[in-house]
Amino acid sequence: MNYQTPTLRRALAADYAIGLMPSVARRRFERLLLDDAALRAELAQWQEHLTSLTQALPEQPVPERVWHHITARIEPQTLHVPEKRPFWSWLRITAAVCTLVIAVTLGVIYNRDSALYSATLLTADARPALKVEAHGDYLRVESLSLAVVEQDRSLELWAIPADGKPISLGVIPPGGKGRVELSDAQKQLIGKPIALAVSLEPKGGSPTGQPTGPVLYQGALAAR
Amino acid sequence: MNGTTAGRELTSAGNRQRTQPNVRRSPISIADTDQLKQLLAQCSLGDRRAFETLYRSVGPRLHGVALRLMGRSDLAEEVLQESFVRIWNNASRYEAHLSAPLTWMINITRNQAIDQLRKHRDRPLADIEEQALVDESPSAHEQLNSAREASALNRCLDSLEGMQRQSITVAYFQGLSCSELAQHMAAPLGSVKSWIRRGMERLRRCLES
Repeated sequence: MNYQTPTLRRALAADYAIGLMPSVARRRFERLLLDDAALRAELAQWQEHLTSLTQALPEQPVPERVWHHITARIEPQTLHVPEKRPFWSWLRITAAVCTLVIAVTLGVIYNRDSALYSATLLTADARPALKVEAHGDYLRVESLSLAVVEQDRSLELWAIPADGKPISLGVIPPGGKGRVELSDAQKQLIGKPIALAVSLEPKGGSPTGQPTGPVLYQGALAAR
Repeated sequence: MNGTTAGRELTSAGNRQRTQPNVRRSPISIADTDQLKQLLAQCSLGDRRAFETLYRSVGPRLHGVALRLMGRSDLAEEVLQESFVRIWNNASRYEAHLSAPLTWMINITRNQAIDQLRKHRDRPLADIEEQALVDESPSAHEQLNSAREASALNRCLDSLEGMQRQSITVAYFQGLSCSELAQHMAAPLGSVKSWIRRGMERLRRCLES
């Protein structure tokens, strides 16, 4: 379909804003949105207008269980596991710790190239998309479920330090698997509290030195 | 939105009361756009406390939207829960220059609700649900009529023909696709499409004038 005529773009944005599109068309339109800032603006305008339709809706008190479910979802690692057999779980933890210590020791002794930090970058709907491991002077990236990128596009990896200004780490190899070499300046970043993000850019990477396209994936870099 | 504030100021101008648009709403007035923007920015940096504040202030509002669309409290709660997980995960994607924070969050909730409604509708409707759907349609309308706030949108909706207005509002609150809407309104698909298209064009002209 031709998405370029202004009338059609506007009409499609209206359909999407109302909620008229069948699921397949919705997903297609959402993919278009990712890479089309003007279309996002068109849609936002419709949504802003239509949201007044909800003004008359009464507020509904929210049962406390909803918040518990939400926190359980965003922090799955703190989920409570019933402590039925403290002795066995103590034994299990000890065994796990021992294994870990041995593994780390062996790793350090036999494989000086092991990854120090790693990150799993997630899509907007929190699906794992890209695994990044930071080694001494390079990153190893591995695609988990990367979007298919057009010929004239590249995926660019960014480090986002605490001050929020993204620093390019380089372009992800086509296919999403391989090495991204780090310069001395980039190496300085690894180990600091940074988030990683991947944006869609023109082939070869952003011409401006800052992300120009939408952010597709993101995740924090943590020590292994 | 300008129309809304202007309208509220007009109505309260005659009263002794100073303009306090959201006295009823607590703990944070949801009209406080700047505060919501800031909370979203903090969420994008992983600030859990900001997220909880955000949840406490807009939760009841989004719950109202979810309940209106889903029509069942258990389903509405699921939608609300999923919406907040998305808000947390996607806070960094909020584009402050494009839309108000509440609009962004309401649309996350609506999209989530529409997906769920579609999922439930993919299997044939049971009679009870069919009945529920039919019952829904006038209340979408009453809802609008009952609270005639002088918003620009309502003024412009009034300028539409009956079928144009009805098809837009029914679709908005029920997440129906064009063909489902045609079936629901017992009208030919072509007519429904043209009601929507012309209605939306007229709405846009009216809102932009």
